[in-house]
This record gives sequence, C-alpha cells and structure tokens, in this order.
Amino acid sequence: MNIKSYVDLYELLQVNPSTREENRAFGLTHVVVQNRPVEQLLAWIDSHKNTLKKPLLSETFSSYLYGVTLTLILIAFVLGLLSGAGLLSYSGHEPVNVIYFIAMVILFPLFTMFLTLLSMFRAGSSQSALVHISPAFWMEKILGFLPCKIQENIKAPKVNPLLANWVIIKRSQIIALFFSFGLLIALLGVVVTKDIAFAWSTTLHISPEAFQDFLYTVAFPWRDFAPSAVPTMELIERSQYFRLGEKLSEVMIADASKLGEWWRFLAFSTIFYAIALRFLMLLLSTLGLSRAVKQSFLTLNGTMRLLREINEPIISTHAKKREVAFSPNGKRYEQIVNTLDASYDSVQGWAIARGELLVLGDSIRMISPSYYGVGGGNSFEEDSEVIFKSHGEVLLFVKAWEPPTMDFVDYLNELTAKVDKVIVMPVGTVENNYETSNKEIDVWADKLSLLDDAKVWLKRSSAQTPSRETLNAEP
Amino acid sequence: MPSRRETDFVHPRFAVVGHPNKGKSSIVSALALDDTVQISDTPGTTRKKRSFPLSVDGKVLYELFDTPGFQRARRVLSWLEKHDVSADKKHEVVRAFINEHKEDARFNDEVELLEPIMDGAGIIYVVDGSKPYGEEYEAEMEILRWTGQPSMALINHINESDYSEEWKRALGHYFKMVRTFNPMQTNIKQHMGILESMAQLKEEWIAPVKASMKLFEKYQEQMIERSAFLLARLLYDSVSTVEKLSFGTKDATKEGKEEIERKYKDTLRALEVATQKKIEHIWSHDHLKKEPDILPLEGMDLFSQETASVFGLTRKELIITGATSGAVTGAGIDLLFAGHTLLLGGVIGALAGGTGAYFGFNELSEVKVLGQTVGKRYLEMGPMENRNFPYILLGRAVYHVIKVAKISHATREIFDIRMDQTFKDKWLDDTVKKSLEKYHKKFRSGNTLGSGELREYEGLIRSILKHLIDG
Repeated sequence: MNIKSYVDLYELLQVNPSTREENRAFGLTHVVVQNRPVEQLLAWIDSHKNTLKKPLLSETFSSYLYGVTLTLILIAFVLGLLSGAGLLSYSGHEPVNVIYFIAMVILFPLFTMFLTLLSMFRAGSSQSALVHISPAFWMEKILGFLPCKIQENIKAPKVNPLLANWVIIKRSQIIALFFSFGLLIALLGVVVTKDIAFAWSTTLHISPEAFQDFLYTVAFPWRDFAPSAVPTMELIERSQYFRLGEKLSEVMIADASKLGEWWRFLAFSTIFYAIALRFLMLLLSTLGLSRAVKQSFLTLNGTMRLLREINEPIISTHAKKREVAFSPNGKRYEQIVNTLDASYDSVQGWAIARGELLVLGDSIRMISPSYYGVGGGNSFEEDSEVIFKSHGEVLLFVKAWEPPTMDFVDYLNELTAKVDKVIVMPVGTVENNYETSNKEIDVWADKLSLLDDAKVWLKRSSAQTPSRETLNAEP
Repeated sequence: MPSRRETDFVHPRFAVVGHPNKGKSSIVSALALDDTVQISDTPGTTRKKRSFPLSVDGKVLYELFDTPGFQRARRVLSWLEKHDVSADKKHEVVRAFINEHKEDARFNDEVELLEPIMDGAGIIYVVDGSKPYGEEYEAEMEILRWTGQPSMALINHINESDYSEEWKRALGHYFKMVRTFNPMQTNIKQHMGILESMAQLKEEWIAPVKASMKLFEKYQEQMIERSAFLLARLLYDSVSTVEKLSFGTKDATKEGKEEIERKYKDTLRALEVATQKKIEHIWSHDHLKKEPDILPLEGMDLFSQETASVFGLTRKELIITGATSGAVTGAGIDLLFAGHTLLLGGVIGALAGGTGAYFGFNELSEVKVLGQTVGKRYLEMGPMENRNFPYILLGRAVYHVIKVAKISHATREIFDIRMDQTFKDKWLDDTVKKSLEKYHKKFRSGNTLGSGELREYEGLIRSILKHLIDG
C-alpha cells in the first residue's frame, strides 16, 4: 500500500468501473480479505486497474514525485557539501571554530527534528504552518512554476491534506538526511585532503571543564566504544582560542597536529545526530505516511460506498421485467343519459338481487313490469332466460364501485342483440344513498366506450333526481 | 413445466389475486417495496402476471406475483363444474383449463392469474373491505378452491367505509386465514405480520419466509445505514464547503460579495437536493411524484428564517450547546494539568464556546478577500461559520428521510411533506446536541477528519434515524 495505490483508487472511483452487482460478486469471491477493508480495497484495485487508461495517473504521479524528490535530494546534498566545505574552510591563518559545525550537525538537526515531531502531531490539519515552512514544501512550489504538461495531470487528484502533509514530512527527512550526508562527506573530504586546526571560541564565559562536560554528555552514544571520539580535557584546554590580537599562541602552533583530533568527534556527532537520528525520523515518517495512506484510503470520497457494495448482500425485492405501460383509451363516452323515464320495459340489476332492485326502483320513483337480477350468483342459463324475456328499453343497474368485468360485457352484448336500448345506470351503496362519484362513472364510461354499441347508454347524473324527461338523444 | 412435487422444493411463491381494481397491485407494491408497479383507478391496468422475487445475492427466498383480476370467473367456474371429478382431481381440471385456453384471448386474465398458482404459488386473495360484499365474488373464490393451493384472504381498505365484518363472514367460508392490510399505511411491523401469515400457509414455507422476514429487517437496517452515511457526508461537505470567486477590479465590490454569497448558498442547496434524490433512491422511491419547481420541504428555503425556526436551535440553546462543548474541551486541558489550572480551562472554554455561538448565530460565513499580495485576487466564502446551520440542515435531512422511509410504495399521490413544528423535540435533546456539536466543530475547522470520525458521526445519525423510524 503506497501513494500509487491511493491514486489508483482515486482514479478508479472517478471512473466507477463496476456495477453494484459486480462489486458484490467481487466481495463474495474474495472471502479471504473479508472484514479487512484496506486489503479488500487493494485487491479491488488490482482487479480493476486494467480498466484505467494508460499511462496510469498513479505512474505519472509517482514518477513526478520521484523526479521532484531526486532533484531535491541532489540540491540538498550539494548544499550540504557546500555548507560543510564553507564551515570547514581553513586558510591556515586561524583555526576552524568547531562551535559552528557542532551547531550545524547537532543543534540544527535536533531543532528541526523537534519541529518535525510537532508537525507530525499536526499533520491532520490542512493549514499546518509547520508543514508549510518545510523546505520540501516550498522547493516543490517553486518547481511547480516550471511549465510542464504533466503538472496538469497530477493536479487533478485532490490529495487528502493529511496525506500531502505526510508526503512533505517524509520528503523533508530525506532531504535533511542527504544534506547531512553532504556535511559528513565535506568533513571527511576536508580532513583527508587538508590539515585543519580546530579550535573553539565563544564570547560566553564557558570554562573548558564545563565545555568538556557538555561534549561528554553530547558524546554519550559513542563514548564507550569510541573514546577517542570524545575530546579530552587537554585537547579542549589547548584548543580554546581568542581572536584578540590576531595572533595564535605558541602552544597552539606547537600542538597543531593535535588540534586536528577534533574531527573524530565532529564525524561521530554528524553520524549520530544528523544522520542516525534523522534516519529514525525518516523511519517514523515512513510509518506515519503508511498510516496516512491507509487512513486516506478509507476517507477517500466513494470508498465507503465501494466497501459497502462489496460487503453488503444485495437484497432485491423488485420485479426483473419492466411492466408494459398501461394507457387508457382516452375516448369520451358520448351516449349519455342525464335523466330517466318514469318507466321501462324491464329493470335489471347486474349482481343485484331482485328485492334490492325493487327498493332501488321505488327510491327513484320508477316503475317497470319486470325486475330481474342478472350476473352475480346466477347461472348462464338463468341469464339467458332473462335475455330471452327482455325487449324494448332496459334499465340496467350496476354497482358503481365494482369495475365492469368481461363477464358483464358478454351479458351486455347478448342483451343488446335482443332489445332496442339499454341504459346502464351505476348506483352507489345503500349507505351512501346510491350516490356515485364521477370517478366511478368514468370507469364505466371507459368500458362502454370500448363496446361502441349504439344501443348502450350511460346514465351519468344523480340517481336521486327522477323525472320524466326525454332522453337527450334517440338511438 | 415442473411438476407440483418439484415446485414444492423451490422457494415459496405467492400469487396476489382477486377481482379487478381491488388493490392487488398496491399490495404487491407495498410488500415488494417497489414503486414502479402501475396502480390506477382504471380496472385492467395489470394485463400480465409479474414476478417480484425477494432475493439476496441472487438467491430467491420467496416470490410474489401480481396478477390481472378475474374477468370471466363465472364462465371459468362453469367450465370447471362441467367436469365431475372428486376433490383430489379438481386441481387437474384447473390445469386442463389453463392448457386448453392458453391461446384463448377471452381467458387471458384467468390463465395469467391461475398459472403461478398451478405452479405451486400460495394464494393471497384480495378484496376491498371498504365496499360491500357481493355474491359475484363467490365464483372467483370457488375457482381458487378448485386449485387446491393454500390460501389466505387480505382485506384491503381503499376508502374509509368499513364492511370488514361481512367480508370476514363470507371469506371465512373459503379461506382458513383472513387478514386486514392497508398497503397505503403500512410499516415494517404490519409488513412482517403479513409475511408471518403467509409463512403459515404451508409448513415448508415457514423457514424460508421467516428467513425473509429477518432479511427484510436487515434490509431496513441497510437503508438506515446508507441514509446515515449520506447525511453525514452531506453535513461534512456542506459545512466544509468553500466557494471562490476571482475578480479583476482593484477592490472587491458589493455585487461581487453578493454573487459569492449566492453561489455559496446555491452550492449548499444543490448538495441538499442531490442528497434527497439519493435518499429516495435508497428507499426505492425513485418515482415519488413531487410538485415541479418547488423547493425541498414545502418550499421552505434552506436559508429562510422559517426553516431556522422549525429545525434550528434558538440562540439560547445554541449558546448552551456551545458553552457545554467549550467547557468539555477546556476541562480536558484542566485534566492534563491535573487541576492546577484551578478549572480555568473549563471556564474559559465555556465562555469562548458560548460567545462564539452568540455572535455566530446569524452570519453564515465571512467573505474573505484573498490573494491580494500574489496578484490573483479572489473572494472566498466558507467553511460555514454559522453554528446553527448544521442543525438546520441535519434537521431537514432527517425529516426528509423519515418521511420517505414511512411513505408506502403503493402511494401514487403527490409526495407532500407537511411540516411538523414539533419535529425538533422528537430527536434533538441536550445529549444529542452535545454529541453533534463536537463533530460540527471539527467540520467547521476544515481539518482532515480521521477515518473513524465521520463514521462516529454517521453512527450518531444512524441511531437518531433508527429511533425515529422504528419508534
């Protein structure tokens, strides 16, 4: 798991190469990594990476990172080399003050490592000043101004600030490490190629004893196995130097060869404080970066959805096939009767018993010589008998709330073959005083419009308004 | 065609049958959580049987069939009765009827509805309990009796009138189980109740249907979890959103500031609408009918005073929440110094939290002019500084989820979210406020969240949703 995987995942989530079903199938076929989200994501990246366009953004991104890091390493190394050479420059007129070099290889690294530790704690912040003062951050910003087509591509992924901060922190450690290598090589180079007289000089009232105590403490990591790399009291006393008068003491000149012994201490200080400790910081930052990648994996927009799709069973309750859209015929039924006559040749009720028909007829003050219940519990023979007896004009009551079935249509067809006119009258429930709703009547109108029979009429207005009026049209 | 013996060993199937226009499709829609089923007042909307399998990872646990209504029940029964056979042979006569009339357009609906039954489906006979019983139904029930398949009746209440008792008396003669179910007002408990009854139809079906019931509960959990995830993301994205607007003039104009504020608000509105769409998808309500061009939640804008008063905290509540949250942070410092701070940390934290809440009550976010020295000048607005906004947004989002989760899939009317003025009291108590504020503060800071933090917030929302949906 590294930044490449992160960028791959970012790119894959952008193109969304698999359906929910495919992701679930992936989950079911990769049970080994079940309940291990990061491993699941890595396996998922592996199996989908081939769907991405070449060159992969992750490759472009990592080669850019590699290139920038390498450039920064080279710059840092050269700077280290030059700084070392500068600090150790020795003309032969006066000795080299070791305080500068000690500051550069001990105090400066300790200070920057302290800042690094602080920035590690604040790595989650998008506005971490400690990260922003890092040379790695600014040098890259400067390199970013260079015209380059690649930069367009690599700017596309919006890298998590946590991850970006850890990348900078780690890169800063590498840069500092190579800077320190530069210092060490400069030291060794100068020591090998020149004779240097080291001395120590300070305005502060520091006695050689106190300075020796300090150096002894500083040398704690190696003083036991390399005692020659700890300056002795004698060396410290002999190498204390004051510039006043610009003349070297005779003792110093006599011990010129001994003054060079400081280099061991300086070399060990560089190796331990500037290199070994920095290397530990590098390891720490590598660990931090790895954790940041893992965390960024899980906080990347779309990751949780993907993990859910991989791990959650697909529960489906829906129909597989799409339903054929129903479209009502839209025709308006024209053969409408608004008022009823006072009598009809026959009154019939579809699925309405004869007794109910009599009550119904009475309620609307309409009379007829014959009342028949049809449909409902009747047999076909009974219905046929009613049709046989029917003639002239028939008032056919139907239950408004029951939609017309084809059974009714069959009966109506047979009836119209025998009689002159059929008025279909939907009625509501007794509790509702036979009142009907427009919606119910519309359902009946729709059905009758399909019959397209000139003998069939529909009574639309209220059943409670009996009057002897003519029908609005003759059949 | 598989034999009956073979079909007995496959998953349970249930055919929802009945008279036309009695709510069969509504019941299927509600039980299958599918809002694509065509439901209308016009009889004959369903012309073909349609299968609704409940499957988990492709494995079907049970299957529901929506079927057309009986059209020529008397004629079918008359055909069946012409065959004088003993009870054990009656189902064969029904099969013979299907075979003989498969190509007969007159009996298309009967063949469609009888086929799944003769393939082993249990019968769910649907009637409308708000209309009186009629003897025309008897032919249908008699045909179903001929099939010999286990059956139950469901009394559906389409309107307010109630004829349940007469229906129960009649249905009792034909079905061993009669249940009442209103698909328009169903909830998970009623849904499970019906499944429980369906399981009782046949001994072999008990285990798979019970497994399905557990799965439905898990499904509900999944939907709640996914909703909570989206809501957590909405809150985080909205609160941390930053809008930028570059300008070429020397100084930022009033119009520029207004424009960036408009853009900022539009971005937040768009995030809310997009989340609402996703929520509706999660709950299988992609086809909810809404008034066109109306703002979400009854036209109440996200930034209106009205919405703030319904969903947001009052200034007093906000100060208390801010102070409590600040005090908790300060107390952490006191603890770090083992109380040597004389609890000043807690006091200062409370004061800072309370004061911040007081002053941040009305303003959304400061409009900053940035890039002055670099040359590319631009205005920036965000992250959200208004401490009330997360509560308003979350309140609206939770309200929307609850409404969507509770609406029946059989509903085909316009989705109407009536505001409930007391809604805030149902979910936002002091403990919840305190827990939420901790995360809202983090969202506002613009810092990267830990991988667990957003999930913790999501968990908090999940428990709120669960409480409101199950409660």
